[in-house]
Amino acid sequence: MSSQVEFRLPDVGEGLGEGEILAWRVAPGDRIARDQIIVDVQTDKSVVELPAPVDGVIAELGGKVGDILPVGAILAVIATGEGGRGSTGEGGRGSTGSPPADAALAAPPRVLASPATRKLALELGIDLHAVAGSGPGGRVTREDVEQAAQRVPAAPAAREPALLQGDVEVVPLRGLRRRIAQTMTQAWREIPHITDFREVDATELVRARARLRGWLECEGVRLTFLPLFVKAVVAALARHPALNASLDLAAGTITYHRRHHIGIATATEEGLIVPVLRDADRKSLAEIAREAATLAEAARARAVTPRQTAGGTFTITNPGSYGAGFGTLVIRPPEAAIAGFGRIHDAVVPVDGKPAVRPLLPLTVAADHRLIDGDALGGFTADLAELLSNPVLLLSSGEGGRAGPAGGRGPTGEGGPAGPAGGRGPTGEGARGL
Amino acid sequence: MVVGEIPEGIDLLVVGAGPGGYTAALRGAQLGREVTLVDHGGLSGVGGVCLQTGCIPSKALIEIAETAHRARSWSSAGLHTEGLTIDLGAFQRFKDEIVRRLGDTVRRQLDAAGVHVLPGRVCFTRPGQAAIEQDGGGPSRFVEFRDVILATGSRSIELQELPHDGQRVLDSSDALALHTLPTRLAVIGAGCIGVELGTAFAKLGAHVTIIEALDRLLPTMDAAVAPPVQQRLTTLGVDVLVGARARDYDDRRLKVDTARGMRIVDADVVVVAVGRRPNSDDLGLGRLGVRPRPDGVLEVGPDRLVRPHIAAIGDLTRGPALAHKATAEAEVAAAALCGRPAAFDPVALPAVVFSDPEVAVAGLSAAQARAAGITARVATVPLAASGRVATLNPDDLEVFGACSDRRGWGRNEGFARLVIDADADAVVGAQLVGPHASELIAEAVLAIEMAASPADLAGAIHPHPTLSELLAQAARRVS
Repeated sequence: MSSQVEFRLPDVGEGLGEGEILAWRVAPGDRIARDQIIVDVQTDKSVVELPAPVDGVIAELGGKVGDILPVGAILAVIATGEGGRGSTGEGGRGSTGSPPADAALAAPPRVLASPATRKLALELGIDLHAVAGSGPGGRVTREDVEQAAQRVPAAPAAREPALLQGDVEVVPLRGLRRRIAQTMTQAWREIPHITDFREVDATELVRARARLRGWLECEGVRLTFLPLFVKAVVAALARHPALNASLDLAAGTITYHRRHHIGIATATEEGLIVPVLRDADRKSLAEIAREAATLAEAARARAVTPRQTAGGTFTITNPGSYGAGFGTLVIRPPEAAIAGFGRIHDAVVPVDGKPAVRPLLPLTVAADHRLIDGDALGGFTADLAELLSNPVLLLSSGEGGRAGPAGGRGPTGEGGPAGPAGGRGPTGEGARGL
Repeated sequence: MVVGEIPEGIDLLVVGAGPGGYTAALRGAQLGREVTLVDHGGLSGVGGVCLQTGCIPSKALIEIAETAHRARSWSSAGLHTEGLTIDLGAFQRFKDEIVRRLGDTVRRQLDAAGVHVLPGRVCFTRPGQAAIEQDGGGPSRFVEFRDVILATGSRSIELQELPHDGQRVLDSSDALALHTLPTRLAVIGAGCIGVELGTAFAKLGAHVTIIEALDRLLPTMDAAVAPPVQQRLTTLGVDVLVGARARDYDDRRLKVDTARGMRIVDADVVVVAVGRRPNSDDLGLGRLGVRPRPDGVLEVGPDRLVRPHIAAIGDLTRGPALAHKATAEAEVAAAALCGRPAAFDPVALPAVVFSDPEVAVAGLSAAQARAAGITARVATVPLAASGRVATLNPDDLEVFGACSDRRGWGRNEGFARLVIDADADAVVGAQLVGPHASELIAEAVLAIEMAASPADLAGAIHPHPTLSELLAQAARRVS
């Protein structure tokens, strides 16, 4: 006797709410083995391959490619036990084999429609099986498909379809782009942004990076500015923990994070991905450099795991890498702030009352005004600018600096009362550490 | 990749320049992609097995054999053919010329489309990257690609007991390149390739034995198509051993196990044509995270994608190994990788055997239709119903002649058959056995794809006297 197992979309990452079916590796009737990959699902930022939980035969699929299913929805129904009838390999394809494989091409019940009509349906994202044909014997005509498309203007198409209409190309919002759109809409709608722009004299930073680069080269590290930015941000956050925080309006709480998980905005072909460098305050420059490179590569290959993109407490972005100077930033909820680094460029600046040419780093920090007031933002940005213009100060921070005062500083209790909300409070001398 | 190697960037990589690969490359370029086509034969490999050593050479060989055969059969009707001889060496030069010219046409198209063609063997090194290795150990190139279409085709399956040596034990490609006619030739496998080769060599004058492990000719096709082919092979003097397995070949003696015990078949050469296996094993696909099935087939979606950025077409995918399947899949894969909606969803994928008579099928057989729950009606018209058939080959008067005064249809006779879905009043299948069936089937494919009713087919005027009238006659019987 056969029984059936319902294979539901598991929560494969932290806080994954839903997944988009990207590709089925199996079809109904296929015999599958336990642990065989049966479907590719796109989660927040990555593509995961889901294995079958049991041996059996696929009785039913829970969705089409392109469908978005919530966690817990049935992905597939698998018939187990000897009852399953399987298309167990159709044998050789030559004359030594069993009957030809075109059964797969002839099944399931056909919709009577011409190739051109079928192509149109595919382009318009119309399931022909759901269209009542007006032609003789229920044949589906071109007009039937066009009418069906008008009734369901937003019908999800079979697979990343593009509707070509003269001069425009309309494509459905899918995958990563959809994620970004949702996050940015939420951020822009809910977070009152305040932004501080500063130009930082990067003379010492450029020099420090050049020296460190040579020094670290023998460790196989190619040092960019990014790890130095991470170091400076972490050091500044140690003095201003209010910016390493999350607001939960619904629960009426503010969470101050003791750990520093720095999100690194990474441009990929398919869109922005923000892998998270965890516990950045506990890592050496070389470790940060290596890990940031690995994460960026994984992001570009769309191989980051949900865990690698979750749990950030502060984000940095590096628009300088594509030539930008100052730019407004959008905070990634539930974080409280974001820092952006522009392109370091030579400019004439007054030095001791005389014009001098110095490399300048455009620095932007945006914060959630619900949590952080202008003076608190200014204090953080000033300290960050100070650390960047005098990178020797980075020696003052690090593992040792964290240990002592971290626990005792003002509003660090998770979810505790807002305390001296502005964030000035917790800048206590303790942060100087070491 | 060696540390320090900077891979070259490739936008769309197509692996294999057979009919699937070059079509995919042309379509990709047409859709605005920068395409690099890699084939182990480089520019001279364009066309793949189909053009170089398969379909095209085989059709040429079948044509010369058929022409000689028909000329002889017309001798009873006034065509005198004394002194007719066949020079396979001259034939091979002609064949090479056709292959070169057809290849040039494709090479010109690729050039005009701006497709880069590179020689070498592709070996994937990691997701998105590959090494292109040169035959003879030249320096490898390392490339990083955005999308890839796998179109590496298939190869003849070898038999353990008859290892291929290219001299006495041949595959189909070797057989098509023979410069001299073997006196006695054995063909292992009575699938389409085995039957085509066996028929052609018999007409050229060889004594041919066909050995098939299963119980009949063309075992993968509808049973009704085999008897007329068997009948013609018998008149050509071909021995067909079914339910038989070749065991051993030595000193021009082929030992064959049959139901009635062991038989010795004398054969100067043995051609092994027992099927084809996808070329999916030497590509390093594991390093792309792609695993073929045990039989080498790659599982793909309707858009021919194995996963995002990776498509497979042609003999690598499920279904019969046919060039026209590969080219149709190529269009789909190229479009899908360009973000366009595309699906390979043929209702009728035609299959053709250039046997004598030719066999062509499309869509469902009556049995398949009934198994699919369709209320099927079947209309069969014998070849003898066509006036044109009688004028083609005087020999056919003897083979089919007896039927012309009979109303029924003899099972050894060629025929045209339509399978109709009676509820939907639509043509769902066609089987043709007769001269030029390979050409005639296209009309049936169109009818099936369009869900034409038999009345549509019958109502369209077919020219007289032609073989095409057979389909209209069949349609008339059920409309």
